[in-house]
Amino acid sequence: MIETLQWTTLAVCALVSVARIPSTLRGENRSLFGIFASMTLAILLSIKGPYLVIDQALGGINLANLLLRFVIFGVIFFMGIRISRGFSADSAHRHITGRTGMLVLLVVSVVMVALFFSMDTAGSSAGLQAISAKDARHFALVEYYGAAGRAYPAYVALALVPALVRAAQDRLPVLVRIGAALLALGGVAVALTLLFPVIPPELGQIEFIINYTAILCFVIGLALIWAARVVNGRGAARQKTSTET
Amino acid sequence: MTLSAKAFQRWLQSIAPDASTADVCRVSGIKRTTLAQQLVRGKVSVSTVVSISRAYNINPVAALAGFEPYSVLSGPQRPPTRSELVSQISTADLMRALLARPAMELARGASAPTLGPTPHATSVKNWVDAIDDGEVRHRVSATTGVAPQNYSAQLTANRLSPELAVATALAAGVGPAGGLVATGIITEEEAGWPPGARQAALDSLTDGELTALAGERLQVLGKVLRRQEQDQAQTEKIWENLG
Repeated sequence: MIETLQWTTLAVCALVSVARIPSTLRGENRSLFGIFASMTLAILLSIKGPYLVIDQALGGINLANLLLRFVIFGVIFFMGIRISRGFSADSAHRHITGRTGMLVLLVVSVVMVALFFSMDTAGSSAGLQAISAKDARHFALVEYYGAAGRAYPAYVALALVPALVRAAQDRLPVLVRIGAALLALGGVAVALTLLFPVIPPELGQIEFIINYTAILCFVIGLALIWAARVVNGRGAARQKTSTET
Repeated sequence: MTLSAKAFQRWLQSIAPDASTADVCRVSGIKRTTLAQQLVRGKVSVSTVVSISRAYNINPVAALAGFEPYSVLSGPQRPPTRSELVSQISTADLMRALLARPAMELARGASAPTLGPTPHATSVKNWVDAIDDGEVRHRVSATTGVAPQNYSAQLTANRLSPELAVATALAAGVGPAGGLVATGIITEEEAGWPPGARQAALDSLTDGELTALAGERLQVLGKVLRRQEQDQAQTEKIWENLG
């Protein structure tokens, strides 16, 4: 079940990235291609098989996990900028790119790197499960490290949700509204990851479901907004030709 | 409100006793599947009855009056009020008429153009505004149980279900068929409006009244257009950043 969800998410994300190549070559919103491609990389790094391969290549000390965290930070930062600009969410834009946003990003990054290097991370292990199992100290460190990794995405997501909810109720093309609603749902899911420490271990699957739901919502939401533009462009082109003839 | 299939079959028997359903559909231009579906569901739409009436040269208002929910349409048609008539003139026609008035210096030599047919782009909203004493919307939602915001949404979209159109006319105390004209279900002739009544009502407006009315219409139109432009700009911005 989890495996299916992971590979499906990877496939959807890779597909959207590939579909964006032509418009990227035309120079339309190149950063969106970057966002989708980085998301694909992040999903790849979060799946056990590819993770082990990549981490071995990086020296087998779980640097791939740290890389994954920073790829996610990058994706969420640039996505936050794009979304807040597109939906005219000025306060969200300030919260992300302003001094507070930069400070949050800096502090979270420093704490995360410090925690990572204070652990003995030898031995590739997806989700650092083997590291966490070493002893009580490592267990606590991995928990804090994970919490730091979830804090920044949750901060950006919470900043974006109000504007997205508003946009979903606005007088906009229906595909754009559905896209905004999906982005809002993804934002709520990312914010929910803050609650992971209180989820009992038996329900660990829920964490996976929330993570991948968030990614799927983001990818599909962004793809729908793009699709709305394509549909609109076609409609306008058809109208033009019909009035010309 | 739709009409019961049983009453509809009885009515159809009375106007075209020998015609099959296929014949009726061919003559009236209704899709066979549409009518079949309405009959199966037991709910025949008002526009079906109007189309069939026209095909068999029966006045659609008289035909509708034979159905229980629309019995208020029976009897001699009440003439429309002047404001109702004027409400059914499009803003473009009002503007043209205004330009042909002596108050406009350009008018010399211009002849008043003929009016376009009903309904026009904002005919439903204008009609309700023309007959509204300020309480009509409340009375309609009280008698029909339709929530005021749903009613307003229909008006904004220049739509009104036949049931609500009749209920609105009754609540305002005007002729019950007026709303059906404004929503475009029937023509003004079918509603018994005298020929040229709209033109006469327009001609009876003084230059001042006409100018003020055109001004009101333009103001509303301006608001609507501005809102559309804002929505469009917002959408463009979203696409510029995320498309």
